[in-house]
Amino acid sequence: MVNLTRRAFGIGAASVALGALSARMAAAQDVTIVVNGSGGSLAEVLKKLFEDPFTEQTGIKVRATAPVSLPKLKAMVESGNVEWDLTELNGDDVVLATKEGWLEEIDYSIVDPENELPEMAKLPTAMVRASYSTVLGFRTDRFPEDKQPKTWADFWDVENFPGPRSLENSPKCNLEFALLADGVPLDELYPLDVDRAFAKLDEIKDHIPVWWDNGAQHVQLLVDGEVNMTSCWNGRITPLKSEGRPVEISWAGGALLLSYLGIPKGAKHPTEAMQFMKFRMDPVASAEFVKVMPYPGFVPGMMELLEREFVATLPTAPENAEQQFAFNSSWWAENLEEVQNRWNEWLLI
Amino acid sequence: MTMRRPIILLLLAPAVLLVGLLFVAPLVGVMSLTVHDGTSFTAEPIRELLGSRVALVVLERTFMLAASVTAICLLLGYPAAYFMSTLRPRVRAYLTYLILLPFWVSILIRTYTWIVILGREGIVNTGLGALGLAPVQILYTNVAVHIGMVQILLPIVIITCLASMLDIDKDLMKAARSLGASPAQSFWKVFFPLSVSGAATGGLICFILSLGFFVTPALLGGRRSIIIANLIDLQVHQTLNWGFAAVLATALLAITLACLGVFWLLMRRRVEFSGAGLGR
Repeated sequence: MVNLTRRAFGIGAASVALGALSARMAAAQDVTIVVNGSGGSLAEVLKKLFEDPFTEQTGIKVRATAPVSLPKLKAMVESGNVEWDLTELNGDDVVLATKEGWLEEIDYSIVDPENELPEMAKLPTAMVRASYSTVLGFRTDRFPEDKQPKTWADFWDVENFPGPRSLENSPKCNLEFALLADGVPLDELYPLDVDRAFAKLDEIKDHIPVWWDNGAQHVQLLVDGEVNMTSCWNGRITPLKSEGRPVEISWAGGALLLSYLGIPKGAKHPTEAMQFMKFRMDPVASAEFVKVMPYPGFVPGMMELLEREFVATLPTAPENAEQQFAFNSSWWAENLEEVQNRWNEWLLI
Repeated sequence: MTMRRPIILLLLAPAVLLVGLLFVAPLVGVMSLTVHDGTSFTAEPIRELLGSRVALVVLERTFMLAASVTAICLLLGYPAAYFMSTLRPRVRAYLTYLILLPFWVSILIRTYTWIVILGREGIVNTGLGALGLAPVQILYTNVAVHIGMVQILLPIVIITCLASMLDIDKDLMKAARSLGASPAQSFWKVFFPLSVSGAATGGLICFILSLGFFVTPALLGGRRSIIIANLIDLQVHQTLNWGFAAVLATALLAITLACLGVFWLLMRRRVEFSGAGLGR
């Protein structure tokens, strides 16, 4: 009995060892790139539309990780242990990471050989992946039909639009919203008048019980009815609306932001990562992607594949874009530390 | 038979190695960030700490929160433990299971549950509404943070208090009664002094755990509920100021160790005192 068990164990151990060996041999043959993104339901869509077809076409496997995190990028590059081959980045992260030397130069002869991408989508160290908006979102059932909040001035007007509100726990965009509420025109926002913005924020501070930290939270706040209005990402509200929830967004005074893809300095497979970047610019797959997540970006030839009514709901649709301001990443990268410290002091004390 | 020294060392080795590699080494790394920015020595983080109003306010807030949560836990936990100590062992065992039951659910889930209960359209406010009362803002206030933290820490305090109470010889109280003490006197003069060290240990564990809380204040609190762990997170993730994050973490560690030291000194004096009192 004992002998039998020992023998069975021996066979088991041997097969485990063999399995490990063959797995390692396989790994030596093909390449797996690690692509870091926002995770969540988005990750499944990305896998279906881009990652699986890419593997099928090139034999290069893709492993998705999350979340997007500048500190992780910093830690990876500084420790020399770079796990990601490609990562999503927001605009001011790109500026900061580029300044600190955490990103590889992108070879656009690989990513965009036909030279189809607009110049503004091609930074030396990052490529525009998506565009999205931070806008005013509200509960339609909490306000009379003829008196729904539209602008940041309405957001600040607690008499006519009563009830708790929420804003992101970050100075980014909030300083802009405060200035817009204070009457600064869209095209005169930058450079930001920080003092004036904080003075305006003082007015609203006590009407904000909670400052959200991530996209899931502002959705929860609206859905649970915890607040009547909040700043929010346009793509998170669209699915709620189609579920029949009483929520709406207003494009007026929204911040139009860009999201990028970049390659960490010292990434193990930069070439394969760039091949994947090219693949991400496929118009057909991108059109499908935008139908699920309305963050269009500048994929050439994609808009033509979409219905006109749908395009009108995207942040970059002309009638929506003209009501918004372009978030100025360079200004923020330049001033973030100082403004963030002031923000912390303003908020926490 | 006592074990020989080499064997003891051998048995300790895996634990020491694990703690050394996974805890002490990273800790030293973090602490070195307070005086070294990766290329050269610097006093910048320490200067930043002393000059930062936010850091000092948040540190103070952290200790006030830990103190009030500990006080509430002791006020609720001590009587509960006393009640349990008077029960038959079988009944007490069942109650102990009940008290430990919440540990089977993650802190994160328990904290999220409070959002559902305390929210503007939650159970509490719906109940208030049914009674014709206006909704109260509980969620995202310090009250919610206290509720969430006490719920998590109370079992620890009860169990620690109970353990020390069970060690107390019940005959001592009977002896006190037979010598003419009232029930209250036998409790306050005999039982209570003997149970204080257990309660103090429970309180200390509760206090130190409170100092490091992160999720509960982040999810249930408002802007004024941010405590030191949240501020450290902010420095790591938002401002990328790791030197400042390290100096905050080190300050928290130093103050916690100081609290432990004070506690140890007090307890040592108490033990000597009560030992003498009992004529041991």
